[in-house]
Amino acid sequence: MSVSNLLENWSDFRHTHPVDDVPHNPYKWAMSIDLDACSGCNACSVACYAENNLPVVGKEKYAHGHSMHWMRIERYWDEDISTEGGRDFPDQGAQFLPMMCQQCEAAPCETVCPVGATNHTPDGINSQIYNRCIGSRYCEANCPYKVRYFNWYDYPTTDNVWPAEMNQQLNPDVSVRGKGVMEKCTFCIQRVTVAKNNAKNEGRLVHDGDVQTACQQACPTSAISFGNLVDPKSKVHRQWQAQQVELNKDAQTKDKAENNEEGGGSKEEGGSLRGYRIFEELRPYPSVMYLERVRESAV
Amino acid sequence: MNSGSIKHLIKPLAIRLSEQTTLAKSLVMVGHPFDRRDFLKVLGWGGAAVALSGCGNGSVEDGKETVVSYVETNDYMIPSISVYFNSTCAQCDAGCSITGRIREGRVLKLEGNPDSAINRGKTCGLGQAGVQHHYNPDRVRAPLLRTGNSGEAITWEKAYALIAEKMNGVSGEEVAFLSGGVSGHLKVLLGNYLDSFGCKNHFVYEAVGPAVLRAANKKSYGVEMPRFNINKAKVVLSFGADFLGAWVSPVHFSQQYAQFRKGVDGQRGVLIQVESKMTLTGANADRWLVVRPGTEGILALGIINALGAHGVTLSGDIAAAVKGYDKERVSKDTGVSAEQIDKIVALLKERTPSLVLVGSAAEGYAHGSQNAAAINLLNQVLGNVGKTVEAAAVVPFPQMAPLTGNTAALKTLNDGLAAGKYKVLFSYAANPVFTAPGAMKFPDNMAKAGFKVVFAHYMDETAMQADLVLPLDSALEDWGTQVPEYMAEGAQINIQQPLMEKLHAETRGMGDILLALIKLRRAEDYKKYDDYYAYLRAAMLQNKNALGGGADDDTFWTETLSKGIIKVAGTKQILSGKVSAAGLSLPTPAAIDAQYPLQLIPSVNASLRDGRHTNQPWLQESPDPLTTIVWDSWVEIHPKKAAELGIVEGDIVEVTGKNGSLKAQAYLFPGIHPDAISIPLGRGHEALGRYAKGYGVNPFQILDTVFDKETGELALHETRVKVSKTGSRVIVVKDEGPVGGKQMGKKIAVRVASDKVKLSEEV
Repeated sequence: MSVSNLLENWSDFRHTHPVDDVPHNPYKWAMSIDLDACSGCNACSVACYAENNLPVVGKEKYAHGHSMHWMRIERYWDEDISTEGGRDFPDQGAQFLPMMCQQCEAAPCETVCPVGATNHTPDGINSQIYNRCIGSRYCEANCPYKVRYFNWYDYPTTDNVWPAEMNQQLNPDVSVRGKGVMEKCTFCIQRVTVAKNNAKNEGRLVHDGDVQTACQQACPTSAISFGNLVDPKSKVHRQWQAQQVELNKDAQTKDKAENNEEGGGSKEEGGSLRGYRIFEELRPYPSVMYLERVRESAV
Repeated sequence: MNSGSIKHLIKPLAIRLSEQTTLAKSLVMVGHPFDRRDFLKVLGWGGAAVALSGCGNGSVEDGKETVVSYVETNDYMIPSISVYFNSTCAQCDAGCSITGRIREGRVLKLEGNPDSAINRGKTCGLGQAGVQHHYNPDRVRAPLLRTGNSGEAITWEKAYALIAEKMNGVSGEEVAFLSGGVSGHLKVLLGNYLDSFGCKNHFVYEAVGPAVLRAANKKSYGVEMPRFNINKAKVVLSFGADFLGAWVSPVHFSQQYAQFRKGVDGQRGVLIQVESKMTLTGANADRWLVVRPGTEGILALGIINALGAHGVTLSGDIAAAVKGYDKERVSKDTGVSAEQIDKIVALLKERTPSLVLVGSAAEGYAHGSQNAAAINLLNQVLGNVGKTVEAAAVVPFPQMAPLTGNTAALKTLNDGLAAGKYKVLFSYAANPVFTAPGAMKFPDNMAKAGFKVVFAHYMDETAMQADLVLPLDSALEDWGTQVPEYMAEGAQINIQQPLMEKLHAETRGMGDILLALIKLRRAEDYKKYDDYYAYLRAAMLQNKNALGGGADDDTFWTETLSKGIIKVAGTKQILSGKVSAAGLSLPTPAAIDAQYPLQLIPSVNASLRDGRHTNQPWLQESPDPLTTIVWDSWVEIHPKKAAELGIVEGDIVEVTGKNGSLKAQAYLFPGIHPDAISIPLGRGHEALGRYAKGYGVNPFQILDTVFDKETGELALHETRVKVSKTGSRVIVVKDEGPVGGKQMGKKIAVRVASDKVKLSEEV
C-alpha cells in the first residue's frame, strides 16, 4: 500500500465510526467502568486468563515486558505524593484503573497494519485475525493504551506454560495463539457470538444481560457493564446517555464544561457528570467509558 | 460421647416441625431443559463405569486413547455445548458458591453462583484460580512412604494397613490431629474418627485467621462473628480490616461496598481506613490514616473521648475508660492530627448509622485483644450494634458448624510435640512447617512424633517431613458439605460436588480416607457406606425434612445437587447489649528499640494468603494490587525512611530481627508508616511445586514469638527488625511504569470530589 494510495483514499481506510452509510446496526458493543466501585482487586484480570487462554510467561519474560494480561489493573498515586514539597502519604488512597483494549472506533492500530489483520467488525469490535497477522507489531507501537500483546514465544510448547493436565483447562472456544502473532482483548467475542447465535435461533436480538464478558462476570463490585450501545434498553446505553458521552464526538459535555471552567467560564452544565473516555483528544473514539472515582470532600 | 453412634444421622431429627413447614415452603423448584436427575447420576457416582468423554490424560494422538463413538449419548451430552454444575469454592473458607463450566467432560472455568447470598454470582481472583489447583501438574498422585531420605509410592491398602499398625497400642492421648478450618460432614466424620480411639487432640490451625477478632467480638457482642452491614452504613471506620482483600468474606463485602458507594438514602458512603501499612481496602478509602503501629486502640478511645466532648452521651464506665485519652495525647501517641480526629468525630456524629471494623492490623499485637475491645466499644458508643452490626443466622445443626482455626492451637501442638507427647501426628489442610515462626522450631518438634501422616495436594514443606503422604482429590473432584463461618443473609449449607472425573486414579477424597480409617475402628457402624458419597447422601436424606426436602429422596437429592446450596431457616443469635468498659487498658506505645528500630508488618495478599495457593501460576503472575510486583517478595519501605538509609528501589536489603534474617528487594512505598516495613506472606517456598519453589522469601520464618496476652494468639505484627543494604541491586519485576505510578499530567484515572457529583441521578 503506497502512501499516495493511502492519502488519496483516506476515507476508505480510516473511518470515523459510525459512518453515515454504515451505521451500527443492530449491535455496537461497548463498556462502561465505574472507577468509584472498582477496588483494584485483580479478579477481572485472573478471570480473563481463565477465559481467554492467556499464557503465564514467568518471571524472566515478565521482566522483559512480555506479560500477556489483556486486562490489567493500573495503579496510580497522586502527582504530589513523595515529591519535594508534596504529601508524604497517599491519604486519599490510590487510583485504580482496569485497562484493556478500548475497541476504538477510529483505531490507531488498524490503519498501520500492513496486512489488514486487525479490522473493525460491523458490531464495533476491533478484531484481530491471528492467521493473517505477520507480527510486524506496528499496531502495538501505535496503540496509545498499550493493550496489544505480542507472542514473542510459542507459548503452547514452552515449558511450564501449559504442562500436562494444565492444558486441559484451555477454553476450546478461544484459539491458542502461536509465536509471532499479536493478541489483545476481544470483548470476549466467543461469548458474544454464542449470544448472537442463540438470539438469532430464537428470531430476536440479543437482550441486555444475555452476554457478560469474563471480567464483568467476575467483578466483585460489579464495576464493569457491557452491552449493546444501540439498544436503548441496555444499561451501557443508559449510562452513556446519562453521562452525555457520545461515541462519535471527541469532546464530551463534561470535557467542554471543564475547559469552560479552566477558561474562567461557569461549570454549570455537565459539572456533575463523571463519564469520560481516556485520550479523547487523540480521536481514537474508544468504546469504553470510565466513570470518575469519587472521593469524599468532608473528611 | 457415645461410642459408635453415628451422631449426625440422629441429631438433626430433633428439629421442630414448624421449621420444617417453613423450609418446605421456601423450596424453589429448579427447571432445566434436560433431565437433570439423569445428568447428575452420571457425573456423581458411576465412578469409573460411566465415562464422560475426554477425560483422562492419554490422547488420541499418542495412541493411549481410542475414539469410540456414542451409540446412544446421554441427552445432555452435546459436543461443543457446555453444561454447568454448582459447587462450592474451596480456595478459602468464605464459602462462595460456584458454577463450573464443563465441556466434553472437562471443567474449564468457574463462575459465581448468583443464588448464593454470600457471593451473588461473583468471584475473586483466588477463586478463579481454583481450576489451576485442580489441573496443577505438581499434585501428589500416589500414597508415598518415606524410607530414609526417599519416598516410595505404595498402594492405599498398604497405607491403611500401615496406619493401623502404627496406631496399634497407641492411646488417644498419644495422637495429635492438626487441621485447617473444617465444617459440615467432614467435621462430623473427623470428630467421630477421633472419638473412636478417644483422641481429644484436634488442633485447628489457621495461620492468618481473625482469631483475636472472634474472641473480642464474643466479649463485645456475645457472638464470635456477627454480620457487618457495610451496605447499610453511611460511614465505615476500619482499623486495618482489609475487607476488599483478604478479610473474612471479601467477595461478599466487595458487593456490599459497591452498594455503600452508591449510597444509602442517596448519600454516598464514606470509608476511613486506619492502619500502618496500606491494604487494598486502605487504597480505596476516602481518607487513609497512617498510624503508629499498635496504637489503633488508642485512636479508638481518643475518638470516643472526643465524641463525648462533642455531646455524645457516654456511660460512666466508658467515660472513665477514655478519660485520659484527650486529643493531644492521642495525637502524639498515634501520629494522627487533632484536626483529623475532629473531622472524623464530626462525620461520625452527623452521618448515622456508621460501622467500625477491627482488622488484622489492630489484632496483631501483644495487646491485640485490648485494641479490638477498644475499637468494638466505638460501635457501642455510636449505636451501631443492632443496626450495622447484626446477629447472624446460624445453621441449626451445631455438629456441622465450622471449627475455626487459630495460632494458639499451633502453639499448644508445638509444645506437646516438643515434650514428646505424641507418637502419631496427622496433618490436613495446614502447612505448619512453612507457616510456623522459625523460632518455634516446629520441624524439629514434628520430627519427635514417631509417625507423621500428611494429607496433601502438593508436596508442601510439611509433607516433605512426613513418613506417609496421602494424596487428596482436588476440590473440584471431591464431595462435601460446607458451612461458612460468615453467614451473609439467611443460614446456608453449601454443597461441594465433583465437576469432573478424577484426573489421577490414586488420589482420594478426604471424606473417603476418613471413612476408610474409621472403618478400621468401627467397621460395623459404617459398613453400609461404600464411600463418602454414600455416607453424605444417606446423611442428607436422613435429614431431608429439616433441610426443606418434602419430595421423595431422589428429587430432594437431585435438587440439592443442582442448586449447590441449601438455604435453611437459621436460628438467630442474640447480640448482647451493653458491655462494660471496665478493665479496658491499653499500653502506652513502646519507645523505639535502638537495635531493631523498625516494626515488621507481614502483609496478607488477597491471592496468596498463607501461601497454600502459591503454586497456582495465575496468582504468581497476578500483580499485587498496590505494588504491581509479580513472582517475587519485596520489602515495602517508606520513601523518606529509604532516603535516610540510602536505599533505592531494587536494592537487595537484609532484614534482621531477633529470630533470623532474610534478603529481598526493596520497594519504595508511600503507603506505610516510616517506622515500619512490610513483607508479604505466601512466598518463599522451599517445596510445593514448580511455580512456588524458590520464588521470594518467607517472613513467617523470622517472626518473633510474641503472643496476645488474652487469647494466646501469635501477635503477627510484633516483630522488630533492622534493615541494611547488601550492596546488590535488581530490577524489580512489576507492572507499574518507569515513573512509579504517576499519570504525568495525563487524564487517565480521574478523581472527583463527592460534592461535585449527583450519584442518585446516575444509572
